[in-house]
Amino acid sequence: MPNAVPQSVLDAILGVVGRKGWIDDEGGMEPHLVERRGLWRGTCAAVVRPASTEETARVIKICAGAGVPITPQGGNTGGMGGGVPDGGIVLSMGRMSRIRDVDPLNHTMTVEAGCVLATIQEAAAEAGCLFSLSLAAADGSCQIGGNLSTNAGGIQVLRYGNARDLVLGLEVVLPDGRVWEGLRGLRKDNTGYDLKHLFIGAEGTLGVITAAVLKLYPAIHAREAALVALPDPEAVLDVFIRVRAACGEALTAFEMISRMPFDFALKHVERTRDPFDAPHPFYALIELTSPRPGGALRDSLEATLARALDDGVAKDAVIATSEAQAEELWTIREDINEAQIPEGGSIKHDVSVPVSRVPEFLHRATKILEGAVQGGRVVAFGHVGDGNIHFNLTQPEGADTDAFLAETDRVVHGVHDLIAEMDGSFSAEHGIGLHKRDLLERYKSEVEMDLMRTLKRTLDPKSIMNPGKVL
Amino acid sequence: MTVKPVPEGVTEALLGVVGRKGWIDDKGEMEPHLIEARGFWRGTCTAVIRPASTEETARVIEICAKAGVPVTPQGGNTGLQGGAVPDGGVILSMGRMSRIRDVDPLNHTMTVEAGCVLAAIQDAADEAGCLFPLSLAAEGSCQIGGNLSTNAGGVQVLRYGNTRDLVLGLEVVLPDGRVWERLRGLRKDNTGYDLKHLFIGAEGTLGVITAAVLKLYPQQPSRETAMAAVSGAEEALTLFSRMCDACGDALTAFELIPRLGMEFAVKHMTGVVDPFADAHSFYTLIELTGPEGGTGLREALETILAQALDDGIAEDAVIAASEAQRGELWRVREVLSDCQKFEGGSIKHDVSVPVSRVAEFVRRAGALVEAALPGVRILAFGHVGDGNIHYNLSQPVGADTDAFVARWDEFNHIVHDLTAEMDGSFSAEHGIGTLKRDELVRYKSAVELDLMRTLKRTLDPMNIMNPGKVL
Repeated sequence: MPNAVPQSVLDAILGVVGRKGWIDDEGGMEPHLVERRGLWRGTCAAVVRPASTEETARVIKICAGAGVPITPQGGNTGGMGGGVPDGGIVLSMGRMSRIRDVDPLNHTMTVEAGCVLATIQEAAAEAGCLFSLSLAAADGSCQIGGNLSTNAGGIQVLRYGNARDLVLGLEVVLPDGRVWEGLRGLRKDNTGYDLKHLFIGAEGTLGVITAAVLKLYPAIHAREAALVALPDPEAVLDVFIRVRAACGEALTAFEMISRMPFDFALKHVERTRDPFDAPHPFYALIELTSPRPGGALRDSLEATLARALDDGVAKDAVIATSEAQAEELWTIREDINEAQIPEGGSIKHDVSVPVSRVPEFLHRATKILEGAVQGGRVVAFGHVGDGNIHFNLTQPEGADTDAFLAETDRVVHGVHDLIAEMDGSFSAEHGIGLHKRDLLERYKSEVEMDLMRTLKRTLDPKSIMNPGKVL
Repeated sequence: MTVKPVPEGVTEALLGVVGRKGWIDDKGEMEPHLIEARGFWRGTCTAVIRPASTEETARVIEICAKAGVPVTPQGGNTGLQGGAVPDGGVILSMGRMSRIRDVDPLNHTMTVEAGCVLAAIQDAADEAGCLFPLSLAAEGSCQIGGNLSTNAGGVQVLRYGNTRDLVLGLEVVLPDGRVWERLRGLRKDNTGYDLKHLFIGAEGTLGVITAAVLKLYPQQPSRETAMAAVSGAEEALTLFSRMCDACGDALTAFELIPRLGMEFAVKHMTGVVDPFADAHSFYTLIELTGPEGGTGLREALETILAQALDDGIAEDAVIAASEAQRGELWRVREVLSDCQKFEGGSIKHDVSVPVSRVAEFVRRAGALVEAALPGVRILAFGHVGDGNIHYNLSQPVGADTDAFVARWDEFNHIVHDLTAEMDGSFSAEHGIGTLKRDELVRYKSAVELDLMRTLKRTLDPMNIMNPGKVL
């Protein structure tokens, strides 16, 4: 049971942010208390919405003095429960949504934590640049502060890296209310320890990110998409290697879809159709982009795929001839999560292995799942180019959902034990939050756990920053 | 300076761990380990210890930690900031740990030990059909452990980032002798705090890096190199921006050379030719690279340069027609550090500013140093694409060298104060070591210094790891 927050502390915080920055009625607080899928529900005394870094700092200082827990929240779109409060206050960053600066020549942009990702993408585009972080589904509601705190991945990691790789500078309010201002837009700066990486991906447990300098890239003026039909996981990897060698960094996405989720998408998602005459065990969705307009991308994609077909590695292939066709191909990939829902319960994994071991993982993990639940349907898709597989098990057709989900721990440990054996990660992009704390203990070495706990204790000795998350 | 001698019992225990093969205490043999590359500093130590494995390294550090004996880690000892100069205790020289543990061309990774020479790593990547893009002047003798500990930059940062960006996993011996092993070759891994970034760039003050998983890239057999003469730094920036927008990742280098640099180089260095008939204020050295087949690099370069000549941004331009010509163009850039010594005393700076402000920096810094010493000769060259300028000053013609060099601190402050005002960095690639500790205190905020000191105190409470460096 969380301790109640003393009225005097609430009054002091209200004094800092004012009525505009204060929500304490049940209806208003509701969306801040639940995880988006409804898996967790928390409680808090108030949702505090600071308008500036200074207000954020003053709020945290008050909380630090009184030992009141703070749960920072962006768009609350995370799937691991990292934004669910356990008493204290929610610090909701949405009012800090100013784009402070855009510098197209330096290819940087300085934004506040509460900026919605899609807004940042648009501002970059207006300046003739590209901000490459894109999560597809959540772009319109997730906030950059959350993206940075969870080191979000998305669909263009292959070329541009994770959220961490897109940051040059940070501004952070520390757990004692001091502000560390490191908002530099520099490509090179070797002056002491690189502190920003402590806070990126820390899920708000070491401080609150209030602003960041983001890296931009040249705008894209040529884009090609193709869907390739493949007989087995080895062929998926083979085609990936061929395209990577031929196209280098023009290769922006290489997504794998196994037959099962492909079928789910065709069945449940509007505006999807199978571009091939026959079914195939695997598909690869390939995207190439370039800042240079012209047909060079198309030529190298065609040549590479033609060779793969000739060699018998690929069974069939289509290259989109219009933006609309490219969209159609992408729809299949993007709506897989949704398409799984009508098929009943699913047990999900967000894992990664070295790219070279993706086929081995798929074979071995499939065997484990098929052995674990008779008739369970293996749904494998994801970012093969990053070694990141969303490896899910959907219940057998017509089975009882609750009985199926009761097998979750057994299934999850089977897959994650394999991942550990294969030097992989049990949470490639989604983070830890509440959901994977036990897995962290199970799979991390003692030394690593001790280092993380030591850092937490040192930077947040009162454990007020998002307590109970990650560690 | 008094240095505590290492107790006899401790030296025996250390010798017991590494054996005679890993032990140097002969004066003549210790000599190269005691001095900095340019002879600016000389240190003392009881012995140079050369461990053959991570386990030996761990046992050595455990013994030193218990006895409070300072440990100065050393790679190729090529750094310029005095970061590897010992102040008593022992030197931990990593050269015997030079095994390439694994190369995985499909995963584009390579696992190497800290003592691998950079050139050996480049060669091994090449043999596997891949590229390890870190490249710098000392590559024939510097070691990857040192590159990682100093977050080395070099000539391809524009495209591939600094050393930090080329690391996926690390193995580190902590200051208490425990080993933190996270040698995973994963592109995505969001499982807790990202600890590797603590140790990269920490100059050995938080632990000793013993091995790393490095990122590889596709080879870039297509290459185009050009030199364009421009009338000012402003025009150089415009040209950079056009190149960047048109060529994206293909732009591998964009270097700035001032007229004075061309003059010094032609005058003092063999094999340097001014490719232009007339004198120009600035030169830019441009390189594009791409996968087999080129995908239009040459055309892109020609188009942009032709347009720049048409609208007066460029005054003249040459594109290398052969490997020999390419070598000639690069030679101008490569000799700039060395050719200055023939012109008397020099005072050097390694600064960075946002790319968009490079021209402003060059203009303002020029006015300031000229006012402080009329006739001072400014050799501002460097990686414009990274905002990194080696802002070096040569004494006025005929001036007294000692009197000029005696003003080192004064000029450092002039240049670094301006850098600070422009949100830049006073050490873009070279790090802090011993040389820039005072600058760190002068220019970092109290909060940032406190965070760094707190991390140091927490991870190395005995202060045995490279004491007196960075902080």
